[in-house]
Amino acid sequence: MRNISSVLGKLAKSISVGLVLLFAVTSVSNAQDASNGGALFKANACNSCHAVGRQLTGPDLAGLTDRREESWIIKWVHNPQGMVDSGDPQAVELKGKFPTMMAPYSHLSDDDVRDIIAYLQAEEAKAAAKKEQAAAQGGGAGGSQGASTLMIVIVSVLVVIVVGVSILLSRITKTLEKVIDTNKESIDVATAEYAARGSKFGQFAKAFVRNKKLVFFAVLMIVALLGVVGWKTGWNVGVHQGYQPVQPIKFSHQIHAGVNQIECQYCHGGAFKSKNASIPSANVCMNCHNTITAGDHYDNDSGISPEIAKLYRAVDWDPETRTYGNDTRPIEWIRIHNLPDFAYFNHSQHVVVAGVECQTCHGPIESMEEVYQYSPLTMKWCIDCHRETSVDTDNQYYDQLIEAHDKLKKGEKMTAAMIGGLECGKCHY
Amino acid sequence: MDSNKKYWKGLEELNQTPAFVQSSKGEFSESIPVEDVLNEEGLSTKTPRRDFLKVLGFGLGAVSLAACQNTPVHKAVPYLIKPEEVTPGVPNYYASSFNGQSILVRTREGRPILVEANPNSVGLTQGTESATVASVLDLYDMTNKLQNPQINGRDVEWAKLDARVIEALNKSVQAGKRVAIVSRTINSPTSLAAIAEFTNKYPGTLHVQLDPISYSGIRAANEASFGQAVVPSYKFEQALVVLSVGADFLGTWLDGEEHTQDYIKNRNYKSLEAGKMSRHIQFETGLSMTGTNADVRIAIKPSEEAAVLISLYNEITGSSLAGGIQQANAATAIKLAAQELLKNRGQAVVVAGANDVHIQTLTNAINAAIGAYGTTIDLVNYSKKYQGSESEFAALLGMANAGQIGTAILWNSNPVYDYYDSAAVKQALSKIDFTLSFSDRADETASELKAIAPASNFLESWGDESSKVGYYTIVQPTINPVFNTRQAEVSLLNWAGNNTDIYTYVRNIWENSILAGSSKTWTDILQTGFEFKGNATAGAASFAGNVNAAASAATTAAQAIKAGDDFELSLYQPANIRDGRYANNAYLQELPDPVSKVTWDNYVALNPKDAERLGLGEKSTATIKAGELEIELPVLAQPGQALGTASVALGYGRTKVGKAGNNVGVNVFPFAQVNAGIIRFANKVSISKASRIYELAQTQTHHTIEGRNIIRETTFAKFLQNPASEAGRFSDDHKTYDLWNKYEQPGHKWVMAIDLNACTGCGACIVACNVENNIPVVGRDEVRRRREMHWLRIDRYYTIEENGQGYTKEDDIANLSSYENVSVVHQPMMCQHCSHAPCETVCPVLATVHSSEGLNHMAYNRCFGTRYCANNCPYKVRRFNWFNYWNDSRFDNYLNNEFTQLVLNPDVTTRSRGVMEKCSMCIQRIQAGKLQAKVEGRKVQDGEIQMACSSACSANAMIFGDANDPNSEVSKALRSERIYYVLEEINVQPNIGYMTKVRNSFEA
Repeated sequence: MRNISSVLGKLAKSISVGLVLLFAVTSVSNAQDASNGGALFKANACNSCHAVGRQLTGPDLAGLTDRREESWIIKWVHNPQGMVDSGDPQAVELKGKFPTMMAPYSHLSDDDVRDIIAYLQAEEAKAAAKKEQAAAQGGGAGGSQGASTLMIVIVSVLVVIVVGVSILLSRITKTLEKVIDTNKESIDVATAEYAARGSKFGQFAKAFVRNKKLVFFAVLMIVALLGVVGWKTGWNVGVHQGYQPVQPIKFSHQIHAGVNQIECQYCHGGAFKSKNASIPSANVCMNCHNTITAGDHYDNDSGISPEIAKLYRAVDWDPETRTYGNDTRPIEWIRIHNLPDFAYFNHSQHVVVAGVECQTCHGPIESMEEVYQYSPLTMKWCIDCHRETSVDTDNQYYDQLIEAHDKLKKGEKMTAAMIGGLECGKCHY
Repeated sequence: MDSNKKYWKGLEELNQTPAFVQSSKGEFSESIPVEDVLNEEGLSTKTPRRDFLKVLGFGLGAVSLAACQNTPVHKAVPYLIKPEEVTPGVPNYYASSFNGQSILVRTREGRPILVEANPNSVGLTQGTESATVASVLDLYDMTNKLQNPQINGRDVEWAKLDARVIEALNKSVQAGKRVAIVSRTINSPTSLAAIAEFTNKYPGTLHVQLDPISYSGIRAANEASFGQAVVPSYKFEQALVVLSVGADFLGTWLDGEEHTQDYIKNRNYKSLEAGKMSRHIQFETGLSMTGTNADVRIAIKPSEEAAVLISLYNEITGSSLAGGIQQANAATAIKLAAQELLKNRGQAVVVAGANDVHIQTLTNAINAAIGAYGTTIDLVNYSKKYQGSESEFAALLGMANAGQIGTAILWNSNPVYDYYDSAAVKQALSKIDFTLSFSDRADETASELKAIAPASNFLESWGDESSKVGYYTIVQPTINPVFNTRQAEVSLLNWAGNNTDIYTYVRNIWENSILAGSSKTWTDILQTGFEFKGNATAGAASFAGNVNAAASAATTAAQAIKAGDDFELSLYQPANIRDGRYANNAYLQELPDPVSKVTWDNYVALNPKDAERLGLGEKSTATIKAGELEIELPVLAQPGQALGTASVALGYGRTKVGKAGNNVGVNVFPFAQVNAGIIRFANKVSISKASRIYELAQTQTHHTIEGRNIIRETTFAKFLQNPASEAGRFSDDHKTYDLWNKYEQPGHKWVMAIDLNACTGCGACIVACNVENNIPVVGRDEVRRRREMHWLRIDRYYTIEENGQGYTKEDDIANLSSYENVSVVHQPMMCQHCSHAPCETVCPVLATVHSSEGLNHMAYNRCFGTRYCANNCPYKVRRFNWFNYWNDSRFDNYLNNEFTQLVLNPDVTTRSRGVMEKCSMCIQRIQAGKLQAKVEGRKVQDGEIQMACSSACSANAMIFGDANDPNSEVSKALRSERIYYVLEEINVQPNIGYMTKVRNSFEA
């Protein structure tokens, strides 16, 4: 019976998937543009409160059309409060379940709303298809279990072969030894001949050592080579350009700063106020990640990517109940950019006053999957920049200096170096 | 125009003692013992060459191996939930309160690192006393503080302690015994409210206040004279004539720094430019910091204090009380002083230091006669800082001995150490059923008690203070309690059954009573830090005391300390560790005494002639006997000490205060005498030579001046005729030649002007500099080796004046009768940031170079320690790191542990071994100030950037600013005719200008 029911269940599922797909296709053919719907869904930040298959601040939108009339949905989107006020029983029930009232989106046309509905249905279909696939993979997982038995089989076959080969080899050695025993004399002659030939190399070496000029040249070359290598490595002691440690969370600047175009300042606000750019505290991450639980990379069953789960672990956030606990664990990032203690560096001086782009020192951060140290962070590197960079003449602080400078060097640009940017006490105190 | 006065830093320099000559020869070369190794013996040892090679080989190998380690991985752990107000790297300031002064606490990432005065408050608004600046270190004194409450020396939970205490309290009440709370003076409305609630719960609770340094004599005298048992407020800014008899009113007497701030207003460069300067006459025994600042100073014995006041009273009122002073010198001075006081009626004040009701009554009579009440003395807006009563405490001891006290709670009180009769205290405590202390450590008293409920540091607590009538300051926490401590108020309220949290409790008190009727809200208070109800008008008070009785009683009392051939002993509070409560603060222990420049010890100060008579020289010790008491102390020949007297500092000799303060010096509280229930810090003693040899860690002659003319001093009369008098500047036609090119300073030119007339020598600037710039404490032994690290020192120069004339020739000095009449000039000395700095030219690695803003930079990471710069510095202001003081277990008891390192300023590098350092002109503050201006796109405003030293100076003696701004305060100050530059003649072009010392001496 169980088998029959499971078979029936599978059948029903595939039929329903097929139906949904069919519906999706037909809805597309009904000129409802799911892709436009998707764009609208994101542009109007619907996704900050709604998702398909998951309940966020607002209700789960899966099976929306099963629950509600299309006209009802359009009306609701245009004026949810009004519907509640008018005493619509479904609206009042919703209000009771989700006290945070949805804002009215009256600027969306009826077709826009239809597009969004189409998008939601397509998403649901996609999710269902994915689930099917996952189920299929589940079968695959069984296969992989089979694979592991296969592995055992292969290994045992290999063992047999190895044993066979070693037996064979020992036979061959024994035969060869017998051959040596029988032909001993001729072998000795051959060995003596070989030794005489080998001494030719010895003669060459002796001749080389006798040639003083050649020896001198060779030694010089070796010393020069060692010198060059030593010089190069010597200069790079303590320089960690390209340092790319594995971080406790695989945070991708490429997704955040690159794809999603989040301003650097949103997370690294310290760079504008303080000497430290500061790694954002986890509460800043949670501003977005209390709703965004997974990116495209990790669209798994739970809807939570394992990396974001680490963040949730750190702040002890339960995405199911949407509550924080007390068992917090700070995230121990590995520091990439390390200046020695005797060098003082102030981000706000460079970012705010000088208007230096983050990328100037940190490189193409918006395309880095994992951050690495882009610049050498040597003093030479600092000074080279101070020699080249001109001072922001609009800043009234510099008025006096600009005046003095104009008197001396008409027309030339005033660099940081000219106003004391190379002095020891700027960075060392 | 050179002054021909001879100045000297210490007696050894004056007398050119062999030891001094020897050490001054070796001033620059701290020789490495190469000769010991390479002399005959060293070479004739078995295999010196092979050993050398072995060591060399091992060294090379070890260094290469050590260098092969992987680069350490640094972790960066951000906040999980960042407090909104915290930006890592940016300091936050919180208003709080310490010793009644409204302060600002600077915190970085949640840890307090510096305390500064709250400039918008009332009272002491510019600068702090040294202990206030040093107080942040006490918060991090974790190795000596208790981490948990204790019962019988064992750690327990608070709940258990509470149960035990409540049980004991109930038992006391049931048995009809009383509960006693013994504390220092408490003026905090919150603390008093907590005590009141506690008393409600446990009726009959006695609250006894005991101050180790008591002012009960003043209160008793004011009760007798005016019917008000209060310590008045003194308004020195109103006083054009100040006469002090044994009161160190600029230092340790009442609110020293507040007095300094007010007193200097009539003596600083602004006042002098207006042609006004007060006159200060000081009669005293030992040379106090106040005495060094006096215009006229007369050395008297403690027993003569009453006589001086009687004579003065007679001169002023024309009466003829018996018992006037006999000494001719003093008599003349009193005559002149009396005229001055009368001439400036209503603008004059007389203060007396002795805690003696009769002497204070005489003082009151004189002050009433010169119209001081309502003008220079304010009895209406009196001080609430000292309300202790020794007689009440003595009565409590009696009750305890009679078994009437069931429970005693000691709050901020340590009588086993600082009460003159320690044995009596111990005995009384043993008769009490249950005893408890709120001390943060198991100190001398707390360790004798049954339980300790450790109170949190003031930087961890909510609370308030009210140091004056109508003036309230808030105490707000700047860090969570680091250990399992609980503030005393919470404990008392808890035991009284009130479990309100302390924040709400304090807030309720403020909102319901202090702020009632005020427009300010609680948030305003948290921001501004104080509430001032406005001074009630101080009226004149009519003196109703009995002068005749006071005079005869004072004369009789003086007999008790009159010593004849022996010595009269005067006990005083040192300027740094005070009554001993700051004894474990390493910054304060290493702060040199303003006068003797001794660190890490107390000593017996004797007049050099007396010392000579007793056969006591340098490094001698002496035995001091008074009845049963006998102690041994190092001897210091102190010029200015009255003949036949000895002075010893209190506050030393603590045994259970912590690693830094334990067994430093000798406790002399037992030498105090009690006269009619009032404690007096004087006695008569016999002194004899002891056999021990002991070297004091004294910084005074660490740097010789080779007789150079670096102090310029004039008199007020001469100044009025010619403001440039004695400044000794070169005239404009004096030709100078430069070896170096001139430096351009197109942007800023940071300079400083130091008013020698304002500097009292208190040393708050030194401590502020230490805290701000991560300057290590090196300890007594290292100070003896001249290795103190202070970037800023205050040089104290003596000069002798006898019979109204300065002694200039060495022959005259040799014939001096007493060394009693010395006058003193204090000169703060730090890097002069010379435009043509001699240190820069000799550095082989360009580690010290000049900046375009007029500063002399020091790149520590470049320095490799040749010390050429220090040798070539004419001002001796460079300091060498002989050890890795911040990370060396040998200096563990000072600042080298994981807790005290939290006090470090994260904006300043800690220097490692083998590196030279010196005053950087707080470059981190300059850079921060400039950055602020750049971010806001404006110019730096004058006064916006302050040095740690100048912001700690209550006399505003150090004026810092930009010389390129002609309207800046410092530019104006540097245009003063009094300005001179130290060693200007060697043309190093220093950037720190000094203003001549002006003395308003009698023109007899």
